[in-house]
Amino acid sequence: MNRRAFLKSVAGAGVLTAAGALATPAISQRAAARVLRFVPQADLANFDPIWNTQYVVRNGAALVWDMLYGVDDKLQPRRQMVESEQTSSDGLVWTFRLRGGLKFHDGEPVLAKDVVASLARWQARDNMGLMTKEIEQELVAVDDRTFRWVLKKPYPKLLVALGKVGTPSCFIMPARIAATDPFKPIGDYIGSGPMRFVRNEWVPGAKAVFERFADYAPRQEPNSWLSGGKHMLLERIEWIVMPDPATASAAIQNGEVDWWETPIADIVPVLKKNRNVMVDIADPLGNIGSFRMNHLHPPFNDVRARRAILTAMSQEDYMRAVVGDDALWKPLPGFFTPGTPLYSEDGGEILKGPRRLDAAKRLLADSGYSGQPVTCVVAQDLQITKAQGEVTADLLRKLGVNVDFAAVDWGTNAARRAQKSPPGQGGWQMFHTWHAGAVCIDPSSYTAIRANGDKAWFGWPTSAKVESEITAWYDARNLDEEKAAIARLNKAAIEDVVYAPTGFFLAYQAWRKNVDGIVKGPLPFFWGVSKAA
Amino acid sequence: MIRRILATIPVMVVVALFVFSLLYIAPGDPAAVIAGDQATPADVERIRQSLGLDRPFLIRFGEWLWHILHGDLGTSIFTNLPVAAMIAQRVEPTLSLMAVTLVIAICVAVPMGVVAAWQADTLIDRAIMAFAVLGFSVPVFVVGYLLAYVFALELDWLPVQGYTQISEGLWPWFENLILPALALGCVYIALIARITRASMLEVLQQDFIRTARAKGVGQTRILFVHALKNAAVPIVTVIGIGVALLIGGAVVTETVFAIPGIGRLTVDAILRRDYPVIQGVVLMFSFLYVLVNLLIDLLYTVLDPRIRY
Amino acid sequence: MTDATITTAPELIRAAPELPDLLPPIKLRGGILGFARRHPAIAIGGALVLAMVLIAVFAPYLGTVDPTALAPTRRTREPSAAFWFGTDMLGRDIYSRVLYGARVSLTVGFSVALLASLAGLIIGLVSGFVRWSDGIIMRVMDGMMSIPPILLAIALMALTRGSVGNVIIAITIADIPRVSRLVRSVVLSLREQPYVDAAIAAGTRTPMIILRHILPNTVAPMTVQATYVCASAMIVEAILSFIGAGTPPTIPSWGNIMAEGRALWQVKPYIVFFPAVFLSVTVLAVNLLGDGLRDALDPRLAKRL
Repeated sequence: MNRRAFLKSVAGAGVLTAAGALATPAISQRAAARVLRFVPQADLANFDPIWNTQYVVRNGAALVWDMLYGVDDKLQPRRQMVESEQTSSDGLVWTFRLRGGLKFHDGEPVLAKDVVASLARWQARDNMGLMTKEIEQELVAVDDRTFRWVLKKPYPKLLVALGKVGTPSCFIMPARIAATDPFKPIGDYIGSGPMRFVRNEWVPGAKAVFERFADYAPRQEPNSWLSGGKHMLLERIEWIVMPDPATASAAIQNGEVDWWETPIADIVPVLKKNRNVMVDIADPLGNIGSFRMNHLHPPFNDVRARRAILTAMSQEDYMRAVVGDDALWKPLPGFFTPGTPLYSEDGGEILKGPRRLDAAKRLLADSGYSGQPVTCVVAQDLQITKAQGEVTADLLRKLGVNVDFAAVDWGTNAARRAQKSPPGQGGWQMFHTWHAGAVCIDPSSYTAIRANGDKAWFGWPTSAKVESEITAWYDARNLDEEKAAIARLNKAAIEDVVYAPTGFFLAYQAWRKNVDGIVKGPLPFFWGVSKAA
Repeated sequence: MIRRILATIPVMVVVALFVFSLLYIAPGDPAAVIAGDQATPADVERIRQSLGLDRPFLIRFGEWLWHILHGDLGTSIFTNLPVAAMIAQRVEPTLSLMAVTLVIAICVAVPMGVVAAWQADTLIDRAIMAFAVLGFSVPVFVVGYLLAYVFALELDWLPVQGYTQISEGLWPWFENLILPALALGCVYIALIARITRASMLEVLQQDFIRTARAKGVGQTRILFVHALKNAAVPIVTVIGIGVALLIGGAVVTETVFAIPGIGRLTVDAILRRDYPVIQGVVLMFSFLYVLVNLLIDLLYTVLDPRIRY
Repeated sequence: MTDATITTAPELIRAAPELPDLLPPIKLRGGILGFARRHPAIAIGGALVLAMVLIAVFAPYLGTVDPTALAPTRRTREPSAAFWFGTDMLGRDIYSRVLYGARVSLTVGFSVALLASLAGLIIGLVSGFVRWSDGIIMRVMDGMMSIPPILLAIALMALTRGSVGNVIIAITIADIPRVSRLVRSVVLSLREQPYVDAAIAAGTRTPMIILRHILPNTVAPMTVQATYVCASAMIVEAILSFIGAGTPPTIPSWGNIMAEGRALWQVKPYIVFFPAVFLSVTVLAVNLLGDGLRDALDPRLAKRL
């Protein structure tokens, strides 16, 4: 028995016989083995995966709702709720048949009309969903287990859209809940997935509880990421929000939590030394750091100023600031995820080799910059943006730029980056963020690579070349054509500096030795995970 | 008495107006945060409208006041749950923490102050007072980390973090609160010890103490029964003022020890601009403060019969 | 009497002969050391505060480098001959940051003390003298006191952006009620004094009364109060940085050095340790100074402060 248990029994007996109350732990030893305590990357404030596209919401939603398709570890969509699908020869008519025996958490069967309603809600908020809506002729339930989707133009990536990891993912809800306006949150969390959300134990900001749904019918296949059989070996999962990483670190060492999604790289050596804790890479697809410049206003409306940044910036500095000393990062002379089929370094020479500060200063001067203050908005409450912001401020100072460092919180950052006004009037010239590698594999979910000016993502880059290559990719008929298009896209994006990639970085996850079945992936997968006593 | 209670209402209105106007002017847009990274400006605008954030100040304030008077604190922008329910969920941990801190602080600090006053100007006195001053010279989170490291991680006597509800057992509840209460209580202990010593010093000079001593009353009885009761008024005042301090320190302690209390709820809400929650919580704090001070005023009448309302 | 009076006075009036010295001149027994022996708190506290101020002022000459110079390739190095206090997560020299951080933390402490005292003085005087305003002002002060200072500061921080000025304003506003209450109570108690009554009866206008009778009596408690306000302001700044609403990271302060290093404190404790020691010593010194002043000037204040 460890010291605490011993002291507890002595002190407990003493104090409580006096107080007349008995200290009964809420869960007995054996039952505790079926409860997994998980520390998520952020707070689960609300739980509508279509309304709120934060990653942490999608991660929780993956437990509670099932999807029509799910990508495997090769990012290929595989059937999940669908039993079979048929495409017409011209690619315009898709007919899907659902598996039998699918149930919602309230006992109702999953019907095609629920699917149709969920798809409609998802389409309104998702990039690829909007594309399908534009070319949609008809989306209708044919009978209880079949639905038909008729398009005006072929859309070969339809199954990828239905099974993808990029938010919002396409989760299937009961029709009455899916009827909620996509710009308003749902009120009910009745799901179709392997775990139920225990609403009355939910404390937003502190704790979320999931319990196994006994009537879930998993596919009889081994699971691989979002595909295959989602067999739950745990009865109960508790998500415990820890705002302070030092606390989470102490808690996992002490056995008070079982799985920590995002340990900081610096703390990892201590965890590795602990005999009861295992550490490994969390997501092989990693993340891409992003330094966004505002293309609407000086100085970055001139491509030379933007190229000055690329010439002078040191990805090593950025990446070490973000992830520390470990071999957790790679230089990234491009915009796509390393290790994926479409990765390209074409055009990335400007980011390689020794940094040339003088050349950068000349480029900056050529662009007409003459000492005006340049506003850099840096969110202090997210470690990644904070670290990148400080490296940028230092870089700019070395280039002789007059930096106006606006230290704000993410809420203010989110509001400010949407302002198109000039910097002196509440606008901005730089901010930082990062993108999940899973989203940057190709242009389908990658809103940040678009360069269609006013309609583009914050920064509003304009580049006809980039846009035409994106179209070329959508039109590509095989992998070779896709690769060629992406290579040209990469080159164009670097030439026009859509944004400045600060590098590719990975992150760790940590878990106790008595937890089994944890895999690497773009989100934490709870099926197949078990816990010994 | 009634007049005192009525006098507190304008206080709370002032607070409400102040907080509301502050939030209204503050930049930052919860709609943008909710809409997420992939949203277009049109999406964000739609969300803002559905949250009612685009209406003018006075209308929103008036509407909020109207709801308060009907006991409805509104609905959180982010979680879509009623603010009253969210506060109710998180009240128990914070109140428990504050109560345990108060009890521990008083039990430690008052005897400290009494002993220091009794041994005035000796080494013991200086040592106790130095220790007390140290209490509010070190920031709460440093103390918290140290305590957690030594007692939880290294010695494994107590848990590192978390909160157990009192319904799950008295000892587990207390066990989780010992370290946080000690960390939070340092400042409080320092303050109370100092005031106790000062107040006791003055009382101990008085004639009736000399009389009691001449009558042969035991030292302990003199200190704790005769002197302390008369010294109590300023001590109780400081306890009242200190409640506001406690609330501030509770925010940090709740973060360090992962206690799901109101302090963290408020900080998260402010950083996210979850206006209904912020307003609800601040109103609750001012109500709490007013209540505590009212209780203290009542306590005065018990302690010092000369004070009357 | 100076020589000037003797030479310019009319002939008929002659200066009186010098009186013999009946009393020896007042001499500070033992000089500074004697003072220190009798008021150890003031001596120790004052000396430490002075040392910190000197460190802050002469930081560039004490073996420091640019505190904002990043070098992520040499992050989190242990204290060594090259980096006396080690380096932080971005490779910056902690020794330099701590010494330059003294500037910010001391500036925050002193500014808050000064501003809160001034504002509190004015409000307290108005409240004490202008009777009809007393009720309203005190209710407003009560209202402000009921908002926990930390939360008020965070909310004010969210208003604009993090900067030293904003931190100062936020903490000052939270401390004004305390000072104004103190001044008000002094004014109220003095207003009843016979000599003030006499002055009013003699027709002295209010500003003169304030200047000659009230203000001198507020100096003592206000000075002591100011030291406490200063000490608590420095701690509040550290806590605000901890929560992420303090001074921006480009300007090092003890609070934000600790806040940045807090996640690593189990592996690299020196990042939090050094600023914590400096902060604690300074706050301790200021508190000691306050205690010493209070005991020297008027021990009865101990009951109220």
